[in-house]
Amino acid sequence: MIWETVEIIATPVLAFLIGIFFLGLSRKIMARIHWRYGPPITQPIIDIIKLFYQRSVSHGVIFDMGVLLSLAGSIAVVLLIPLGGMHALSSSGGLLLILYIMLLMPLGVALSSGEGANPNISIGISRKLILSLGYEVPLILILLTLMTRYNTISIAEIVSQQEATGWAMFSVPLFISGIAYFLILPAILGLKPFDVVSALQEISSGPEVEYGGKYLALLTIDHAFALFIGIALFVDLFLGGASNPLFFFIKMLLVFILCLFINAVFPRFRIDQAIKYLWKWPTALALAGLIATSFMW
Amino acid sequence: MQLRLCGDKKMDRNQIVKWIRNPKKMGPKYSLWGIYFATGCGIIEIPPILTSRWDAERFGIKLAATPRQANLFLITGYVSLKTLGAIIRTYEQMPDPKYTVGFGSCPINGGMYWDSYNTIKKLDKYIPVDGWIAGCMPRPESIFIAVTHLWTMIDKGIADGYKKYKENYTRYRRNQEKVLGELDWPPLYSIGKKGGGNDE
Repeated sequence: MIWETVEIIATPVLAFLIGIFFLGLSRKIMARIHWRYGPPITQPIIDIIKLFYQRSVSHGVIFDMGVLLSLAGSIAVVLLIPLGGMHALSSSGGLLLILYIMLLMPLGVALSSGEGANPNISIGISRKLILSLGYEVPLILILLTLMTRYNTISIAEIVSQQEATGWAMFSVPLFISGIAYFLILPAILGLKPFDVVSALQEISSGPEVEYGGKYLALLTIDHAFALFIGIALFVDLFLGGASNPLFFFIKMLLVFILCLFINAVFPRFRIDQAIKYLWKWPTALALAGLIATSFMW
Repeated sequence: MQLRLCGDKKMDRNQIVKWIRNPKKMGPKYSLWGIYFATGCGIIEIPPILTSRWDAERFGIKLAATPRQANLFLITGYVSLKTLGAIIRTYEQMPDPKYTVGFGSCPINGGMYWDSYNTIKKLDKYIPVDGWIAGCMPRPESIFIAVTHLWTMIDKGIADGYKKYKENYTRYRRNQEKVLGELDWPPLYSIGKKGGGNDE
């Protein structure tokens, strides 16, 4: 009982620390790729401290509540994902519940920033919802494949079965789905080929246009959680989770650095090109994986 | 006010005691998010300080996308009557605490447009400016010297243009209305009937 309480408190804290570390690391690695020295790795924490001490402007009740809704959604998803050996709530619910609650994050931001009534916001929100429509089709196909293969919807069960049978990424029909997940991972994280939502040069950071001060700080924390969730799902579903948080962190780090390298070299897709890509290659691969798995199991 | 150049001073970003004791001052010091008002040629000097030659991100300086996210306002070039309205609106949208820096000789005194009928010669009559960088154009190094000056000013608590703007809002608003005519946005703070003193 006490251990469960500790896990429920410790999991979001750990997820926040890992996400913030990844935000700082991404700025440092991008700077090194540009042949710059780069900011210190603690820069996102400095930014958050500054933002919390700024005077912030609200645009209404929904503007306040939407950010909190989004943050609450991400914390709930973090609790449902096994982190190393820590299963806070992951034995209850399962993949279907995660799929539903993951929608709260874009929905909260959309509700909140819609109150701002800035034309850049509506463009950003429409791009965000279209993009999530793009990557959720292959994502659902991939999750269906895993459910068919392991005969369960519980994510903790999938992790423990991979301990017995080896990582899903290197087993025969499932590696196709693993590649498909890796292809849509930049879209889930909002990294470079798919950063149309927050395109700084086109729509001046999209949904975040009207945010300043504490709201932007909360949104940064939300972004850190989103980074954690996208990568942690990949590690749990395809790289076999881990027995303790340290190994889990190392696996996440490797996946994230691979994504950063992709982020560094690619230009940005237009939204129609992004949809065309997402519904072509990852969806085809995910469908092939589903068909192969349903024939073999 | 006399300010000593802080060339021999060391950065105190890694001193955790200072962070715990006074996060309100340390935060803005090492996380200056700039928004630049590209009125003239000064904008040419901004890309080099952000890219690999003079990487300003070492000190936590980066460009913000919108005024709501920014706390450093760079006015890079001459200010015409038409752009003054946009400058005031941008300044009023930024959240406190905010710092303004006039960049180049044009915002200081009109520069080479000193006798133009359409150029603002004294920018700090309309918005408070915390510091100036002289030169036509200033070298990127002088921007970093300006940043160290701004750090010293934040430390001593004299980079308080946003407080002055709130205290003397009546006077600033009157000056703005004098050159722009009727303003089509509501006042940021309440306007008193009198007070504020002279226009200068």
